[in-house]
Amino acid sequence: MRINEKMKVRTVAGENIVMIQGVEGTDMTRVVALNESALLLYNKLLGREFEVEDVVRVLTDEYEVNEADARKDGEAWVADMMKNGLVV
Amino acid sequence: MAEAHLNIGGLDVVLSGGDSVSLAMRIPGMRVFESRKSEVGTPSMEIRLDCSDLRPPTSGFRILHEFDIVDGQQRCHFGVDVDGTYYYTFDRHGLLRYREGEGVDIAMEGDMSALRFALWTAYGMMGVRMGAVPVHSSVVVCNGQSVMCLGESGTGKSTHTRLWLENIEGTSLLNDDSPIVRVDGDEVRVYGSPWSGKTPCFRQEHYPIAGLLRLEQRKENTIRRLGVVEGFTALQPSCPPCFAHEERCLDLLVEFISNVIERVPVYRMGCLPNADAARLSHDTIIG
Repeated sequence: MRINEKMKVRTVAGENIVMIQGVEGTDMTRVVALNESALLLYNKLLGREFEVEDVVRVLTDEYEVNEADARKDGEAWVADMMKNGLVV
Repeated sequence: MAEAHLNIGGLDVVLSGGDSVSLAMRIPGMRVFESRKSEVGTPSMEIRLDCSDLRPPTSGFRILHEFDIVDGQQRCHFGVDVDGTYYYTFDRHGLLRYREGEGVDIAMEGDMSALRFALWTAYGMMGVRMGAVPVHSSVVVCNGQSVMCLGESGTGKSTHTRLWLENIEGTSLLNDDSPIVRVDGDEVRVYGSPWSGKTPCFRQEHYPIAGLLRLEQRKENTIRRLGVVEGFTALQPSCPPCFAHEERCLDLLVEFISNVIERVPVYRMGCLPNADAARLSHDTIIG
C-alpha cells in the first residue's frame, strides 16, 4: 500500500488536516484531522510502498511502545487511512 | 478607452475596456462602490473588459470544475492551461483569463448577468491572493459588529438575518449573498459588496466580525462554538467553489480560512425560523 499523494496535508490554525473530496454539488466538506502520531506515520511512509510491518516499526522506533500495542495502533491507523482514501 | 475605479473589500479595482465598462457600472449596486482614481501603493486589481483578441485556451487545457451560472442558463468551465494560466469559459458569452500577477482579461458579449458573475469571479481570483474572499452569507450588523450567517442555499440564512432585523434593536443588513471577508494583518473584517443576491443591499461599509454562524434547520434551537476542524468545515463550503478544485487556489484559500478562524469564533446552530432563534444567536455571539 501507499499514501495517496493526491491528498495533501494542510495546516489550519495549528491542526493538520486533509480535505476529502465530497460529492459534487453538495455543500459539504469532510476533513480528516491527523494527530501527532498519525502525522508522523504519514510523513515517514510518504512516497514509498509499505506494509503494516513498516507502520509498526515506525511506531516502535519513535515511541516507547511495545510491539503488540504498536501493531494494534498501526492496524487501526491503516484502517482509518484506507477508509478515507488516504492510503490506497 | 473607458475606465472605472471601484473600491471593493478595501481594495482598488480598476475596470478598463470599451462598452462593457459602462455596462458593468449599470449593474445594480456597482456605482455605490465607485471610487476616485487609485492612490499609488494601494493594492489594486486590474480587470480588462472587451478583450476581443483574447485567445481560447490550448488543447492542453485541463477542466477542473464545471457549473451553471445565471440561473442555469449557461454552462461555465473552470480550468488551468499548460502554462498555468487560469480560464473560465462561458458556453455562449466568452472567456475570462487570469494570469498570476497580470490581472484578469475578459471577452464577453453584452450580457449583464454574465458580466456580473465574471466580475465576481475576477475579484475572487485576485482577492484570494490579497486576503480578500467573497463568502456566501447573509450578514447583519449590530452595535458596530457583524454576524455572518452561512449555510447551504435554502437553509434560511436570509430568514435568520430577517429575524434579527425584526427582533433585535439596532440591527441592520450589510449584505444578503456575497460580502467580502478580508484579512488585513491581525484584523478580519467583512465588507459590503455589489453582489447581494436578490436583495438590493449594497453598502460601502465594513465591520469587525463577532462570529460566523453556520445554520442548519432543526426542530429546536441549539448553538455551540466549534473548534478548528469543525470551524474549517463550516466556512470552507461558503467560499468560491472553484478554489477547492485547484491546488494553488486551495493553498491560498486554506491560508485565508486559517487566518479567519484563528481570529473569529465559529458557531454551528440548529434553528427554527422564529424570534427565539435570533435571540439565542444574538445572546451567544454578541451578548
